[in-house]
Amino acid sequence: MSKIFYDRLIVLEEIEAEVKKIAKTREEKEELWQEVDELVHHRVLGCILDKLPEKNHQEFLEKFHKAPYDEGLIPFLAERIGQDIEDFLKLEMGKLKTELLQLIKGK
Amino acid sequence: MKRQPAQTYHEISRQKIDAVFLRNKLHLKNIEARSSFSEKFPRVQQFFIEKGLDLGKIREHSAQILGAGALTGTLFLAPPTGVKGLPAPSEIINSLKLAGESKTADFPQKLLVDLLSNILPRVVRPLTADEEKSLQQIFDQVIGIKAKANLEGEHLNTSYGLIGAEQHLARYPGDNLYNHPKISVGDEGMAPGLGAWGYFASSREKFTSSLEETEKWYAVVQTLYLPDWNKRQPFLREWYKYRKVLIVNTDNGNAVVAAIADSGPAAWTGKHFGGSPEVMEYLGGPRYKKGPVVIFFVDDPENKVPLGPVDYNKVNLTAYSV
Repeated sequence: MSKIFYDRLIVLEEIEAEVKKIAKTREEKEELWQEVDELVHHRVLGCILDKLPEKNHQEFLEKFHKAPYDEGLIPFLAERIGQDIEDFLKLEMGKLKTELLQLIKGK
Repeated sequence: MKRQPAQTYHEISRQKIDAVFLRNKLHLKNIEARSSFSEKFPRVQQFFIEKGLDLGKIREHSAQILGAGALTGTLFLAPPTGVKGLPAPSEIINSLKLAGESKTADFPQKLLVDLLSNILPRVVRPLTADEEKSLQQIFDQVIGIKAKANLEGEHLNTSYGLIGAEQHLARYPGDNLYNHPKISVGDEGMAPGLGAWGYFASSREKFTSSLEETEKWYAVVQTLYLPDWNKRQPFLREWYKYRKVLIVNTDNGNAVVAAIADSGPAAWTGKHFGGSPEVMEYLGGPRYKKGPVVIFFVDDPENKVPLGPVDYNKVNLTAYSV
């Protein structure tokens, strides 16, 4: 299994469609997907850490390191942040999608 | 005129440049993102360094933990959400017998949907071994196909997820949408790139009717995210090539046998599987683009199960004399 707790909140289908137009082989496609994947992880975690009070960072990081797949992190974060993380992650992913589409189409 | 050795770049295809160019641009953006993250959260960055963890490779880290847990049998997963009290095998068999005695027009498809709704959680997630065993029994008894989540020790990352519509694949060099069969409504067109195993045949002459069926009824699974995908090559690549899977639409009970012919979708699409236009049309109609399905490997060592729709609702199911 390869899974991160926020996977189901990240939907960037348009980017996948654009990548498929450009990549001609499995290797090319998966390389490009990996680059996007890395960007997503940095953006999502940055966004979460921005919202999460600093006093909770260490506890979250320990949990995340131990079980990055654990969806129990979603209610853990919601409780400490005081809001559902789904809303602000969707907003952040919307921004990332716009940036990536500009980058891809502006090549 | 013959090109100078220093000008061989003229022979690199425009498309190749595009993929490399885009990868470089994405890579630069990644470097910026990493740098910005480190500046903003130096303590967090230090935490990752001390743990020897690269945030960009967190998916691999997750796969390693889960893979190690599965091997040692000490998977420390929290109980998945939405676990229902599973019906005992005897209950499933009884309900089949009862339903068989009072056959209605929608039998056995409604029976399958009812059984699935009793077992599956509301939101897609990896299933437990017990849930998968129950489904295995139901598929065998109701659909009449022997299919397993775990076949020959191989298991997908999840057997219950969202399937998305894919495009037709190029079957041989020179194949194009003009000569490619299409579905009547809402056809997705042809993928610009090749499937994960390249062309189905090296030429039109070598393209057999069997391969034609393979492309027509193809499935996409996330082999790239399998925890041991890179370590167990070339075995896994061969094992998954055109591997038959049973795909069951859990909303309406439509079922199709398909062959794995591409890898994907990307993890950040919210989808877990893909289906050819024909697969998707059969599962949910011409406008069906995404939905929950269960995917199991077909246990078919003698290669007797044909690809395509499983019309279990049109056959006599007296065979379930368990």
